[in-house]
Amino acid sequence: MANKEKGYLSLVLHAHLPFIRHPEYEDFLEEDWFFEAMCETYIPLLDVYERLTAEGTDFRVTMSITPPLCNMMADPLLRERFRRYYSLRLELAEKEVVRNRNTQFLEVAKMYETKFRRIRELYEDYYHGNVLAGFKKFQDMGKLEIITCGATHGFLPLELRKEAVHAQIKLAADDYRTHFGRGPRGIWLAECAYNPGDDVYLKAQGIRYFFLETHGIIYGSPRPRYGVYAPVYCPSGVAAFGRDMESAQQVWSAETGYPGDSRYREFYRDLGYDLEYDYVKPYLHQDGVRRNIGMKYCKITGRVQLNEKAPYNPAEAREMAASHAGNFMFNRERQIEHLNHFLGKKPVVVSMYDAELYGHWWYEGVDFLEFLFKKVHHDQKTIKMVTPSEYLSLHPDNQVVQPSMSTWGDKGYNEVWLNGTNDWMYRHLHKQVERMVELANKFPTADGILKRALNQCAREVVLGMSSDWAFLMTVGTAKSYSTKRFVAHTHRFTGLYEQIMGNRIEEGYLGDIEWRDNIFPAVDYRVFSTAEAEKAAAGK
Amino acid sequence: MTSSGKINKGNNAPEAEHKALPENYGTTEASLLPRDPNWMFIYWEITENSKKEACRLHGADIFQKGRQVIRVREVAEGDAAGKYFDIPVMHDAKSWYVNVQESGRAYCCEVGLALPDGAFVSLVRTNTVNLPAGRVSDVTDEKWMAVTADFDKLLQLSGVEYIGKGSGEVAKSLAQRWEMLRTVFSRASSWGVSSMAAPQAPQKQAEKKFWLVADCELILYGATEPDAFVTVSGRKVNLNPDGTFSMRFALPDGIVDLPIKAVSKDETDSREIDIKVTRATTTDGK
Repeated sequence: MANKEKGYLSLVLHAHLPFIRHPEYEDFLEEDWFFEAMCETYIPLLDVYERLTAEGTDFRVTMSITPPLCNMMADPLLRERFRRYYSLRLELAEKEVVRNRNTQFLEVAKMYETKFRRIRELYEDYYHGNVLAGFKKFQDMGKLEIITCGATHGFLPLELRKEAVHAQIKLAADDYRTHFGRGPRGIWLAECAYNPGDDVYLKAQGIRYFFLETHGIIYGSPRPRYGVYAPVYCPSGVAAFGRDMESAQQVWSAETGYPGDSRYREFYRDLGYDLEYDYVKPYLHQDGVRRNIGMKYCKITGRVQLNEKAPYNPAEAREMAASHAGNFMFNRERQIEHLNHFLGKKPVVVSMYDAELYGHWWYEGVDFLEFLFKKVHHDQKTIKMVTPSEYLSLHPDNQVVQPSMSTWGDKGYNEVWLNGTNDWMYRHLHKQVERMVELANKFPTADGILKRALNQCAREVVLGMSSDWAFLMTVGTAKSYSTKRFVAHTHRFTGLYEQIMGNRIEEGYLGDIEWRDNIFPAVDYRVFSTAEAEKAAAGK
Repeated sequence: MTSSGKINKGNNAPEAEHKALPENYGTTEASLLPRDPNWMFIYWEITENSKKEACRLHGADIFQKGRQVIRVREVAEGDAAGKYFDIPVMHDAKSWYVNVQESGRAYCCEVGLALPDGAFVSLVRTNTVNLPAGRVSDVTDEKWMAVTADFDKLLQLSGVEYIGKGSGEVAKSLAQRWEMLRTVFSRASSWGVSSMAAPQAPQKQAEKKFWLVADCELILYGATEPDAFVTVSGRKVNLNPDGTFSMRFALPDGIVDLPIKAVSKDETDSREIDIKVTRATTTDGK
């Protein structure tokens, strides 16, 4: 029966990694972040979408694939290096099945062999090295809605110049078009960081909606009639969807959260440390230092020492993921019934997560999602899964509210990206933006080497704007790497700026930087011009 | 890439490498950035030329006579002169965190000299920053009025108690994840000397630092006739133009008694509501 559902569930996965690509090194540690996420999250998610589609299970999911991630997925060098990465893992997995034929680890060893073979099959035979084509396929079927993000995950509330905000959005929308063949309907503002008024630049790119942390909506003005359970329209007409905390808690609560179950895979016991050194050495980085290699044979087990962890049982863990998916769905049904009664209308519950938490951090998280999609499709009628676009076409009438400045970071505002570890960056970043705007205004029609230099300046500025650098400094993880990256982009920009202003561009210098920082092959530096930003703000 | 990292109290210094960047750009300028409802960050540069120019205009001893301050101005609507206050600070500090009592307002700052006669010499002025209110809006529309009584409940359903806790448990899981990433990656960066460090035994590497923090505050709000006289616990409360009011309290363990009294303008009528809140915190002591 049509319209029987009592409300909507919109599942949103934010997939992002900073642009990390170092052609100047044969083997670069931080590039592994991308390869790990490919093996554990992005390709397994595609695997789920493939299986659900083959079985005829309808599903809806919204995923941001940020421009840096798109550019890495599309990059020939990283594609080749990823091939090397999974091939080595597969080789080790195959050896491991033989080595463990008489041990209690045989099942888990076989699991990795199957997993890496499937990765190879999907990567090579299905997508021919281009996973973006896979995601696009499901978007074209209407099951997956891919949304974009600021060009380099730039943190917009700390930008002083509107030209910078416009450039982040416009570059992202243009990049999206080249990968997915149409404009983005939605955007994930990096860190859910919203600054009132920035929505006009979204509107200028035809973007219809974005997401906010809970208090971005409920501290909005006037008071939102339905809290976070209906989107609101900013004065510009762009819709803002608010995050539901109850479903976030359901997954991640320390007391009752799913990933801590004793039957799930233990993250901290890794073959990179457990295997004989000479045997595992070919699978480590060139420096030969033992590190995690992503293959783990134990389950969480309980409150025991790492050396007391029991062997992982894939079948048992998968059953648990099914049971947790059932629990999640049950709770959403009750929540939606309750909200429906209380609000007198169909609520939309927006469950937002970092994509990499599924599979990479919570290994069984991808199975959980697969079971959830199946159960929602087959086992209930209370909930209908929708994408935000579908919701807006079903319910185009929404309250007009000016949302509050907010982020999803610690304490809810900008402190994660503005504190004693990283506040020194902004003086330099703002100076670069100011100079970039100056260049774009000064040279409205450059060509030849000047155009190349200006385009590269634009790449360096946006790479420096990535919120990841400030974030990594705050959490103290890869603080040295992120500082070096910010400093490197600043130096490269300043070097080019001085050469351009002195009318003495060195082709060798420029060529070297172009080779290193090749994000946005089609960038047009004029995206930073004042006239363009003003035109966008005026809705022209 | 996860994005809900916890602000780490022990990690508050920048990496030395940032000194590779220029200290000055040779222009007098200042910028103001929003951090949260009550804090802003200002950075500035004042060139020698600007200082000379100030001496030329205001006297060679102006820097001896004047106190170096940041003047924090509330930007009022229209032409009305806004409120301001001064923060004494050495100009050489070049950056500062500015605390303001009133959230939800617009501010700008000037770095300059406060003179004994009360005059102010401005050396550089920042952009204006609009701070978020950090609380539920006082603005309600007509349509809203019918359901005001339920807003409280809606807030609970919306997860208001998690605000500002870095998405609560989410951040906690992520912090563990980052803790792990740090042990795995930071010592072993491909750049810098860290990659030379010897690997540690896996057991030690994998120690989990588990933690939990939680606290709560109290927000009281209400509405009456816009011209009424309202007290909470005997203290006068300033009403918003539409008669609404709200206050934020620290909430220590124990009983907090909040008698609210409203008296009509002509003092012929009054209403009282008494709210008692009990907080009891227990921890498992681990």
